[in-house]
Parts: sequence; structure tokens; C-alpha cells
Amino acid sequence: MNDPVYLIACCLLILGAVFVLIGLLGVFRMPDFFTRLHAASIIDSMGTLLIMLGLMLMSGINLITVKLFLILLFILITTPTAAHALAKSALHGKLKPKLGDDKS
Amino acid sequence: MIIYFTDIALSLMLILTAMVIAVQRNLLGAVMLSGIYSLLCASLFVCLDAVDVAFTEAAVGGGVATILFLGTLAQTDYEKKSRVGISWSGLFLVIICGSLLVYGLSDIPGFGLADNPVQTYLADVYLVQSQKDIAVPNLVTAVLASYRGYDTLGETTVIFTAGIAVLILLGRGKADSDTVESKES
Amino acid sequence: MVEFTILLILLSMLLALISAAIGETVYDKILAVNIFGTITVLFIAVYGFVTGRPDFLDIALVYALISFVTTIAVLKFFEYGDMGKSSTDREQDIDI
Repeated sequence: MNDPVYLIACCLLILGAVFVLIGLLGVFRMPDFFTRLHAASIIDSMGTLLIMLGLMLMSGINLITVKLFLILLFILITTPTAAHALAKSALHGKLKPKLGDDKS
Repeated sequence: MIIYFTDIALSLMLILTAMVIAVQRNLLGAVMLSGIYSLLCASLFVCLDAVDVAFTEAAVGGGVATILFLGTLAQTDYEKKSRVGISWSGLFLVIICGSLLVYGLSDIPGFGLADNPVQTYLADVYLVQSQKDIAVPNLVTAVLASYRGYDTLGETTVIFTAGIAVLILLGRGKADSDTVESKES
Repeated sequence: MVEFTILLILLSMLLALISAAIGETVYDKILAVNIFGTITVLFIAVYGFVTGRPDFLDIALVYALISFVTTIAVLKFFEYGDMGKSSTDREQDIDI
């Protein structure tokens, strides 16, 4: 229980979960869709990265580590693609980003 | 402790999602929320150790059903006609059905108990009989491929269909995508 | 401590649900479903460690792929399907 690797893993897990919460907070607080998309990408990058790293440390080196690494790899590849497609689709759909000079 | 809490929290979120879907006026939003409903359902199935059901729920409910709904909405209008008041006959029917379901719950045996009917007789039969019936050395293979052969056939059909759908989505023909592009512009 | 992580992830599930419910445009809702998919993958991965049987990670892996394919399919539909333009126009008309 007092294994330093376990403690580091716990810290990474909780930090990752906090990053997920921060991303969702950004989704609530940001003014328009494109900034919300930007805030949501924190969940996919930092949140997933830290949680998966924590779980990898917790499991040790075995097949589970490989699976966790694959999940991390897939999420790190697919979610930016999905976010890009979402932004492109929103821009096609006449959803204009809110610029700095229009204070509406 | 935390496992029970997780089950309860997921169930409550399931109910919350259903209520939000019920009050949605925009059907596109309702379709998106039903995708969330399937994901929650799948998480709950994972918690209840029904991993294969969870897998099917995520693939069918979250993936295919959403796309089918969207395809339907493209053909029709997707703003619900606003209607004032409550449909009393509908409410009555829902309450009757709900109380019947709750009444039926009292017959269900406890979750995961060792003396449930499902665990008392069939496992022994499989263990004793399968060598004589099928003579496949692996018991799991015998159960999956012979005793539940049609079930497994259905599951593989679902997986095969999902694979074809992925190929269709990712591998659009070049000429096809060109015509769509020109229509778009 | 893994239990605490599960609690935080459940809380974020609830928040993602709320953001899907109150999302203004349909793109917000798609974004919320996308976020929810990622959180579900994280939930299943962490939950395996809570119960001490991390054998269901394949499911989490498959979920990551399904959620990606769904998002791309929905967006292709929005961009190239029949309701590509009209949907957002009407959507904005309704919301403003």
C-alpha cells in the first residue's frame, strides 16, 4: 500500500480525473462552440493520458499494460480527428466562431 | 461499497437521461441523448459483469441506432409539435405497465446468489454431458458452439454487420465522394 | 484512491450529461456525446481496477473505436447528408 509506485499511480489517476472535470468546467463556461471544443480536448489529451499512465503504473508490466497502451494510442489518434471533423462540420454548417472584437 | 454506489449512481443517471429525453422538443437532441443512454446502459452492464451484452449495447444502441435515427430524421421533420397538457390515457397506461413491472420484480432471484435457479442444474449437466454429447475437449467451446450455436451465430452476424458498416463508412468510393462534394459546393 | 477516481469520473459523467441536455446547438450535443464516450472508456478501464479484475479492457478498447466511428458517421451525415445545411440554420433559428 505504501509502495511509492502505487502512490505515484494514485496521484496520476486523481490528477487525470481532475483534468477531466476541468475540461467539463470549460465546456460549461466557454462562450461559443469552438472554444468549448478546445476545452473538451483537455479531457481527451491530459485526462486520458494521466489516467492511463496511472493505470499502467498500477498494473505493472504485463498484457494489461499493452492493452492500456493501445487504448491510449487509439484515443490519442481518434479524438483529435473527431474534434477536427466536428469543427469542420460546424464551420460548414454556418456556425461562425465568436471573434474578439464583437462583444455580444 | 463503492461498487454499490457506482451501480446506484449509474442507474440514477439512466433515469435522469430518460427524463431529459422525454422532455426534449428537438428530436436531434433526443437522438444524441439516446446515444448517451446507450453508453450509460453499457457501463451498467459492465458493472453487472455482462460484458458481451455491454458490447452489443454499445455497438447497436450507440452506433447503429443513432445513425438509423438520423437517417429517419433526414426524411422527416425533426421538431416535435408542441402540445399542451398531459395525455391522461397515456399516463394511465404507463402507470399500469410500470406497476406491473415492479410487481414482476418481486419474483426475480437475488443478484449473483449461489442457489439461483440458473446456477443449480444446468452447469452440472454441461460438465457431465458435454463429453458424451459433443466430445469437444474444451467445455466453453462446446457450450458456445454447440449448445448455444444459434445464439453464437446471431452474435457473429452482428459483429460481421458492424465490420461491413465500418468498411462502408471508411472506404467510400472515389467517384461517389466526388459527386457528393460537387453537390455540396 | 482508485475508488475516489471512480467517484470523480461518475461526477464528470453527470456533468457531461447535463451539458448534453442544455447544449445550445446540435454540435454541442454531438460534442457532449463524444466527451461521454471518452469518459465511458475511462470509466470501464478504471472500474476493472476497482473490482480487482482488469480483464475487460478489450471492451474499453472497442468502445474507443465505436465512439470514434459514431462521431465520424454522424458528422459525415451532417456535412453531406440531406440535412447538412438546413439543420443548423433551423437550429439557430430555434435557439435565438
